Amino acid sequence: MSLALILNLAWHVGTLALVALGLAIIFGKLRIMNMAHGEFVMIGAYSPVITSSMGLPAWLQLPVCLLTVGLVALVVERAVVCRLYGRMFDSLLATWGISILLREAIELIFGRGYQSVSLPIPGTIQILGSGYPAYRIAIIACIALGFALLAWWNSRSMVATRIKAMVENPGLAQAVGIDTGRLSRWAFVFGCCTAGLAGLALAPTIRIEPMMGLDYLIKSFFALVVGGLGSLEGLGLGAGIIAGTQSLIGAAFNQTYGYLAVLSLSILFLWLKPDGIHSASR
Amino acid sequence: MASILLRASLLLAVLLPIPVLFGEFTAYQIGLYLIYGIAAQGIGFLWGKTGVLPLGQAIFFGISAYAGAMSLRFADGLALQLAAAAAIILLLSSAAFVVAFLIFRGRSESGPFFSLITLALAMIAEQTAGTATEFTGGFNGFSGFASIGGLDPFGNLYYVIAAAAVGMSLLLFAINRSPANLIVRAVADNEPRLQLLGYPTHAVKSLAFAFSAASAALAGILFASHQGIVTPTSTGFALSAELVILTAIGGRFHVLGPLIGAVVVGWASAELRFNFPYWELIMAAAFIIVVLRAPGGIAELLDNSFMRFAPNSPRDESARKDAPMPQGRRVAGSLEFDNVHLQAGVVRILNGISFKTPDTGIISVIGPNGAGKTSALNAITGHLRLTSGRIRFVGDRIDSLPPWQALNCGIGRKLQVPSVFKSMSVMENIAVSMLAGRASWTDYFRTRAFAWRSEELSRVLNRRGVPLKNSMEKQVGTLPQGHRQFLEFAMAIASGPSLLLLDEPCAGLSPEETALMSSLIREFQENSGGLVIVIEHDMSIVEATSDKVLVLHQGEVLAFDSYEAVRNDPNVMAVYAGSTK
Repeated sequence: MSLALILNLAWHVGTLALVALGLAIIFGKLRIMNMAHGEFVMIGAYSPVITSSMGLPAWLQLPVCLLTVGLVALVVERAVVCRLYGRMFDSLLATWGISILLREAIELIFGRGYQSVSLPIPGTIQILGSGYPAYRIAIIACIALGFALLAWWNSRSMVATRIKAMVENPGLAQAVGIDTGRLSRWAFVFGCCTAGLAGLALAPTIRIEPMMGLDYLIKSFFALVVGGLGSLEGLGLGAGIIAGTQSLIGAAFNQTYGYLAVLSLSILFLWLKPDGIHSASR
Repeated sequence: MASILLRASLLLAVLLPIPVLFGEFTAYQIGLYLIYGIAAQGIGFLWGKTGVLPLGQAIFFGISAYAGAMSLRFADGLALQLAAAAAIILLLSSAAFVVAFLIFRGRSESGPFFSLITLALAMIAEQTAGTATEFTGGFNGFSGFASIGGLDPFGNLYYVIAAAAVGMSLLLFAINRSPANLIVRAVADNEPRLQLLGYPTHAVKSLAFAFSAASAALAGILFASHQGIVTPTSTGFALSAELVILTAIGGRFHVLGPLIGAVVVGWASAELRFNFPYWELIMAAAFIIVVLRAPGGIAELLDNSFMRFAPNSPRDESARKDAPMPQGRRVAGSLEFDNVHLQAGVVRILNGISFKTPDTGIISVIGPNGAGKTSALNAITGHLRLTSGRIRFVGDRIDSLPPWQALNCGIGRKLQVPSVFKSMSVMENIAVSMLAGRASWTDYFRTRAFAWRSEELSRVLNRRGVPLKNSMEKQVGTLPQGHRQFLEFAMAIASGPSLLLLDEPCAGLSPEETALMSSLIREFQENSGGLVIVIEHDMSIVEATSDKVLVLHQGEVLAFDSYEAVRNDPNVMAVYAGSTK
């Protein structure tokens, strides 16, 4: 296996893990089947386009991304999602409507055509004799650092426990002093923002268009199904298996086979092992 | 029957004059919406009744459209084409049944995993259709075939589509009035209870899924003839999603809801799409509002306003018929636990329980919380798998059977927390329990089975003080806890079980009701001559009713004897009164 292949794998696994992280919080913890998750990735990917269309300098892309995605997520949570806790099927349908809404809104503003974004860090880095895009290496490093920080924080923070308490018994959680409205609101917004960040990170490497979200939604759902809900280990495992299958079979045969392999693998897991490989919840 | 025909004729009267009144192009458009509506009716049936949400119905729609198109290209003559269409529908619905059966087997819920599997299957179908260019024409689509019977898509084909829509609605109206409808609805309401009434719920859900697949396949065949071209999008995720949206907006709980939804949304989108850029936004917002505020969709709103003029008349109560004898075994005999161990993870629940009951009588099971009383019942009905050991009833092993086979072995069970079908009326609950183990295939499609009563059931219902007779029309969800206890008891004995398991039947009852329940249990045992096992905490009830008492403590048998002997047993006294040391 060449180094480029390994780095490519790290890139795919890392970005998928980042996309799936938000869904792991929203689906895994809040029990909302957020079908609009991919659209938050999409809005994140559009944020460089938004930044340049407002005439702002490129270094503001990150704050613009967080602000846009965060605001949209907040509105969505207040208007729709806050009524859906404990109604899994309804959450699936309503967020599906939201995903259509967001897609159409972006299409009305920016049109249906592809957008592209230039690389903020151009050039390649020579590693062991082969070149690899510097931008991707930077992003892989950032994601690795981010997950390390998250794991450290998660091990000392009570937030995850509070969210679990809130979802299992909202009344009791309120009685022991958890502000459930605020907790679920910010957990949802945080989850969407990580999706937006993933979109921003992916933006220079992909074609940006209103319909792009579905693919990320499906892959991150399947990563969670395969890995199992409720733990960072499961998330990493699932992202590794899904992105690994797709890029390895995609490289060995073609992209279609990679895609079909991921779908078949996911069906097998949903059928035979719906709790995934590494399930911490229950 | 008359009202079904009336409604179907009304639908026909609305659909037939459309080509004459609005012209052939409008009829052509309405035809397409009706095709989607037929597929959506199948979704409405499955989702509205069983609660299973299919996210990949376009698999059946698209594959059927491709197969139909191929058969139209190669088969000459109407008879051959119709035979091919029938074969395609049959094959696809059988495939759907097999897939659903494999997925649902061994589970008693329909969580989102099934929806996600159908979604993934639709994506595979779309991808395959796009890649297998030599069969499907790839993304250019499959074309070059005439429509079925050589009908003009802009002319006579409309009448075939309208006939299909009316036929589908007629079928659904008929199912709605049949006992089968109750069983399908009961799946969504309370699957574990339905299993205890002897229904293999995975098979019921698979049948409903097969039906929905058949309706999607029928729509797909019509679609091929109507459009003259089939592309990969007709088997993909986007169409599957749209069909679900049409169903939701139109109303999934009503036969005509999905048809209405398809026509209203289709027509509005054709009118507004090009003139009004925000159309898609409005559609999405409408869908969200329906999900949040009006889960019954358009049909429910129409129905409510219609109901104000024509209130539902209650069914005639006087005409009750004797039910046929229950199938399966109803022989009294002893229940035997042979060194039963039960372990869940590291928790040891039952640690080598052995006892053998007499053939007949009332056995009370007592013991502190966590003694394993309910787990022992769960082991009998197959809800828990034994780690080791045997359970025999009338000499036959029953410990490895799934819960839905308990009834067939002659076992009836009342659960600890009253478990009934909350969305149904008392009468419907009783009807489901009367069908259990008695109805043959054809009975599920005959309304007379609604009137069945068994001797056991009538005795309970007509007993003075039992609070069910005057609330037959009431929805069970509105009944107080005590009434539900009596209802569940009635349902558990309706099949005339030879082994009745009652888990705290008197919990939440007033002293008068408790006395009534005790005497009902006593009477049932005397009349049936079978075995009744009761978990009870109230010692006065135990003393009044039991022939023998089984004392469990920490997963072991502490004593199994008459009430007097058990009460004087030093081991039992130690557990109940605290340590004597």
